[in-house]
Amino acid sequence: MTHAAQPDSSQRGKVLCVDDEPGILRALDWLLRRHFDVVTANSGEMAMDLIRDNDFDVIISDQRMPGMTGVELLKAARQLAPRAMRILLTGYSDLQAVLASVNEGEVFRFINKPWNVDELPVVVGQAVGLSRTAAPRVEDEQEDAAPQRLADPILLVDGDASVHQAFDDALEEVAVTVFHARTLAEALEVLDREQIGVLVSEVRVGGFDATRLIRMLKAKQPEIVSVILSGEHDAETITSLINQGQIYRYVPKPVRAGYMRLVVSSAQNKHRQMRDNPELAGRHEVEAVPAWQAEEMEQDLARGERRRAGAPEPASGVGLLQGIVTTFRRLLGR
Amino acid sequence: MRFRLVRYFVLTSCVAFLAVAAALVFFQQQQGELFRSVQSEEAKFFGEVQTSFADQQARSARRDLLAIHEGGNVNLTRLFANTLWDQGLSALLERAGEIDVDQCRAIPDGQNADGRTVAPPEKKACFAEIGAQIRALPEFAFLNDKVYRAMHRSSVFKIKVYDTRGVTIYSSEHAQVGDDKIANAGFLGAMVGTPTSELTHRDKFSAFEGQVENRDLISSYLPLYGQDGDSIIAVFEVYSDVTRFVDRINQTQAETRAAQASNLQSIAAASENSQLLIDGSVKRLVGVLLGLLAVLFAILFLIVSRADRLLRQHEAERSRSQQQLAQAEKMASLGQMVAGVAHQLNTPLAFSKSNVTMAMEGMRELSAPVDIAARLAAITRETHDDVVTLKVAGARRRLSGMQLRGSDVDDMRTMLGDVLGGIEQMSEMVTNLRDFTRLDRNKTVDFDLNKSLRNVIYVARSVIPTTIAIEERFDDAPILNCNVSQMNQVFLNLINNAAQAIGKDGSITVSSQVTADAIEIRVRDNGHGIRGDVLPHIFEPYFSTKPKGEGTGIGLSIAREIVENHGGTIEVESTSDEGTTFLVKFPQANEHTIIDLAA
Repeated sequence: MTHAAQPDSSQRGKVLCVDDEPGILRALDWLLRRHFDVVTANSGEMAMDLIRDNDFDVIISDQRMPGMTGVELLKAARQLAPRAMRILLTGYSDLQAVLASVNEGEVFRFINKPWNVDELPVVVGQAVGLSRTAAPRVEDEQEDAAPQRLADPILLVDGDASVHQAFDDALEEVAVTVFHARTLAEALEVLDREQIGVLVSEVRVGGFDATRLIRMLKAKQPEIVSVILSGEHDAETITSLINQGQIYRYVPKPVRAGYMRLVVSSAQNKHRQMRDNPELAGRHEVEAVPAWQAEEMEQDLARGERRRAGAPEPASGVGLLQGIVTTFRRLLGR
Repeated sequence: MRFRLVRYFVLTSCVAFLAVAAALVFFQQQQGELFRSVQSEEAKFFGEVQTSFADQQARSARRDLLAIHEGGNVNLTRLFANTLWDQGLSALLERAGEIDVDQCRAIPDGQNADGRTVAPPEKKACFAEIGAQIRALPEFAFLNDKVYRAMHRSSVFKIKVYDTRGVTIYSSEHAQVGDDKIANAGFLGAMVGTPTSELTHRDKFSAFEGQVENRDLISSYLPLYGQDGDSIIAVFEVYSDVTRFVDRINQTQAETRAAQASNLQSIAAASENSQLLIDGSVKRLVGVLLGLLAVLFAILFLIVSRADRLLRQHEAERSRSQQQLAQAEKMASLGQMVAGVAHQLNTPLAFSKSNVTMAMEGMRELSAPVDIAARLAAITRETHDDVVTLKVAGARRRLSGMQLRGSDVDDMRTMLGDVLGGIEQMSEMVTNLRDFTRLDRNKTVDFDLNKSLRNVIYVARSVIPTTIAIEERFDDAPILNCNVSQMNQVFLNLINNAAQAIGKDGSITVSSQVTADAIEIRVRDNGHGIRGDVLPHIFEPYFSTKPKGEGTGIGLSIAREIVENHGGTIEVESTSDEGTTFLVKFPQANEHTIIDLAA
């Protein structure tokens, strides 16, 4: 309770809590009411009415409810109250719900039950703060937006050559530059050299966890929009990617070319908005990445490069390796 | 009963092969027999032809001989008669004709042992007497002398003359004179003008020149016409010797027979030889066929036993994979249930944890007011004054920072009350979970199926979407002797299926009904129904309409197996777009052995 979110009551954040379980609503009310104005609703329908009549800063909803589910509510809320930050409360990981909440609800955070009493008010406080900085233009986020001419380039990171081919085929008629990276080191190099707008990445690249790169990148360069294109469907991974990486979309493989085009153009629009309005990028603030993860990532990069070079310590490899580590540190700020 | 491929194959094919082999051997023998009989028929026919040919030859030779000699005898008779007529023959005929024979003829004939008519001895004696009279005639001696002289050294051995009465008036063998020949066929033939000749063999014969032995003779009865040439006046019997010719004929016949015999022998030898050859080749053929049959059998046996082994392997693999699938299905439903229950548990856990943490913090804030209250209470106890002055200067900051109100303590109590409620929820869940899995009981018990249904519905609610309502319509205590955990598995499967058929919004009605002889459990949904072409297959193992990788397609087949093991039936009724009803029916008095499926 050390976090004092707002100094005076007129500036207190307005939070809507939605759950069908009264015990949960009472507990959330008690937890949050010291710092925020808390309104509760025991169903999605009731919440919708409240959203229409009030201007909430944050909407916290349970996923499993009779009638309207949490994702449906947040999806509707995105249109009704675009300014409000959306937080989804989940009891267990239902992959479909999680995917839908990312791609349709564009949630700010997943909060797992049971929540941490100290952290929840902090996250809500953050969300309240961000909700007041800038509101996205909802209509621009429509996925049917036409491809733009002056789009920033796309970086595709995937170890599988066929994915690169398929991606190029899908974007054949879209006037956009696509950079291809088959390893994390290559991806780093491109990120360092080019002004990348959209990063499309697999979860694992060359045997290494690519999500750390995305998380670290989001912390340093929030205007880069990340899209995950993955064959791995693991609710846990997606949850952490949202909370720490604020990924824009999670696209499960295999994907149809048309849908891929839609996602990419939508991501480009998002990037443009954030580039033009840097405050908006704040809405996608992420949880801090622990220092040990950055270190581990650096080591993995080095290992990957050595393995790719084919020799344990080739003379020419040392310079290259040094270069990569330097790039990594400069780019991701250690 | 199990189909034993190899055994049945061996039995049937052995029988078939034996039949074929027996047929082959039989035909082989039959053919040999046939050939042999044809051969012997041929040989026989050939022999007969040869024999008949030889006989024909011999017969015609004799006939020719007879005809030639008969002609010769006729001429001889004519010559003889012409020559002797004036020199005593006519006189003898005349004189002998005068002798009366009627009295001798009158003596009746008797019969010998063979039934043949023979003359009695007195008749013979009577005729012998006549013979003696004739011999006594001088004409007889005269004629006799002429005859002997004429026939000297000729091939004519004997001449006899009968008068028209049949009495022998002359014979070169004098003892025969007087013999009665009236019944003799040759005599009677000659009397009507037909010369008759006969070839006979005589061991002994009295010829002109005395006794001869082993002679072939031709005897001819020849009519002697009178001078007018029309009437027969006497019959001659002439015996001429043809032994030489007959010997020639016999010799020729013997030669023919020998040739025939040798021919037959060589034919027999040839046929024996070809029989052997044919038998050999047929045997070889049969042997080769039997060998081929044996090879065929061996090959088929190898193929069949290989197929049998493969079938067994597949069967074993199938049953193994079915077991694995059944286990996987059980684990999947268990996993789904665990996830659902974990989520259910999370809710009370979440607010309980939050509330307890908050309450603990609240308690910390409560310690100062309680301290102050305790101090105030102590002061009150120590002084008897009604008015006490408290100096708050030192404690002003502490006291003014205190924001806690009495309602906060009430809130705290409510919070802890919520925690208690949460704990009760959790313990209810644990009880339900334990009742659902019933890992402690693998036996069958008399159990109220309503309890099982309530339990399953409780668990199912945590798994299926919250937008689906479950309605309970229970009859009074449907008690069934059953394995409860298996029953739960069946009902959970049916309710899960119903939820999947509904998709998003809808309702499931679970009802139990106890009738006079059965317990009926119905699970009805108002989902999209089951397509007509799918409906007959839903209880088949591995049948699934879900995309590959989702669902094993074995749930309903396991459900049916469990229900049937409990002596019950499971039926389905579905209307497109209106919903599906599953009916599980158990007979009331159920004494079935329950097979434990919990592998």
